[in-house]
Amino acid sequence: MAAAESPSSALRRRDLCSRGIRLAGKMRADVVDLLDAYVEQQGLDASASVAAVEGVPVAAVERWDEQTGTQRLLENLAAYRAFRALLAQMLEEQREQLGEADAGLGRALAALLLQVSAFAYHLEELLRLESRGIPGEEGDGPPPPPRLSLFEQKLRGLGVLRELAQWAVRSVRDLRQLAKPSPATGAAPGLAESP
Amino acid sequence: DSHIQYERVGADVTMKCGSMDWDAAVTWTANGTDIDESHLNGSYLILKNVELSQSGQYSCYEGSSWHLKYQTYLRVGTPPKEPVLMCRSNNYPKGFYCSWHLPTPTYIPNSFNISVIHGTKDMVCEKDAVPKNRCHIRYLQLFSTVKYKVTLTVTNALGKNFTTLTFDEFAIVKPDPPESVVAKPVPNNPRRLEVSWQNPSSWPDPESFPLKFFLRYRPLILDQWQHVELSDGTSHTITDAYAGKEYIIQVAAKDNDIGTWSDWSVAVHATPWTEEPKHLTTEAQITETTSASTSSFMAPPTTKICDKGAMVGSGAMAVCWTAGLVVAAYSVLFI
Repeated sequence: MAAAESPSSALRRRDLCSRGIRLAGKMRADVVDLLDAYVEQQGLDASASVAAVEGVPVAAVERWDEQTGTQRLLENLAAYRAFRALLAQMLEEQREQLGEADAGLGRALAALLLQVSAFAYHLEELLRLESRGIPGEEGDGPPPPPRLSLFEQKLRGLGVLRELAQWAVRSVRDLRQLAKPSPATGAAPGLAESP
Repeated sequence: DSHIQYERVGADVTMKCGSMDWDAAVTWTANGTDIDESHLNGSYLILKNVELSQSGQYSCYEGSSWHLKYQTYLRVGTPPKEPVLMCRSNNYPKGFYCSWHLPTPTYIPNSFNISVIHGTKDMVCEKDAVPKNRCHIRYLQLFSTVKYKVTLTVTNALGKNFTTLTFDEFAIVKPDPPESVVAKPVPNNPRRLEVSWQNPSSWPDPESFPLKFFLRYRPLILDQWQHVELSDGTSHTITDAYAGKEYIIQVAAKDNDIGTWSDWSVAVHATPWTEEPKHLTTEAQITETTSASTSSFMAPPTTKICDKGAMVGSGAMAVCWTAGLVVAAYSVLFI
């Protein structure tokens, strides 16, 4: 049986959750703006359906309300680490394709990459607070995907940004759940459980 | 045999008298009233360019025996036009509902069939008992980028039509308006009104899915609304109300992160606190009555230029120090 959370830990967790919620909210607003610009500048149809792309973390989840706090943090962390790599790849592809021709989009992607990195770090802080081991990043990462055509790159980029926008909303909801005090122990719901 | 026959408005209808020969002598009635022979072609009844008012029971009797040979109920109507379909989630994240109606009546019975697809998955939309033209769905997944596709088909005896709606999970989130809106004056504060409200009862988990609110208010005598957006809490104090004026106030709600604003709540009315008028002498009462009837708008207290304590003189000639100084200054200018 896990020990009750100390008042200072509870306060720190609530503080981290509040800041995380603000970070995620800002990230979402920026992704939505970037999506509009991306669709226009890449000449894509905004209503185009993009099939799930391998390696892009899907935000959709069943029984979301039944997840434990630890599950929420771990799934979020895995997702944002993946987005960090995907956005870095998009940035590089952008620079290769357009050089300096589309500096605005490049700058927006770079800014988003920073936010995603910051949020991933924030999640690690929350996991540390819960005395949870932080899962290591997978060695050098997955093997590089096969080289995509330009059009495939653009579609994958659209898929990445769309899923990131969904994840940003999900993260806000997850952090709100985490910030809720548990009625019995004072700990966050689900976080007092053993792995 | 009696049966129902559906025909389109404007159609030409021919009714046979059962198995009677064309040249048999028959009498037709509509709702019990004999039909003139001019509408007959032999024993056939011909109704040209039928109208809605011609719906009813048609009976055919053998000429001499008055045996009933055929009976039908004619229902004149139209095939359905494209139905109007709406889907909305007012109880996020539990699910959503879809409701529909026909833009124009068909005057004959219609049946509706709804299908909901999420990606490749068929979902069941459970029909509500009340109202009849509505069904609801539970979300199996949250935060999905895959769109929902809802197709509604309406069918009647004269034809069918359909419409399709495609949307994503976030776009249809629209809470019901806030409930129990109350507006009260604040004692001893002539420019304040305290407004409070409650989350709509249909919103299942306001703690995890908080709502933000939009308040609008105006005095009844003006058309322009003031707006305030509130990111948390279910109360607000208006501090710039015009003293003594009746206000109309409404509140709307939206999920903090997704979807659209609710409709406006039921309007409430309130008037800021005003001081009780003091007991006046007869002369002063007459003066008060005269001036009140000519003034249509009372300036807010902050624009008052005279305190009672600064009055000089008495009765109708009372003048305050400030006003006296202003008058004196102008007099000096014009001498």
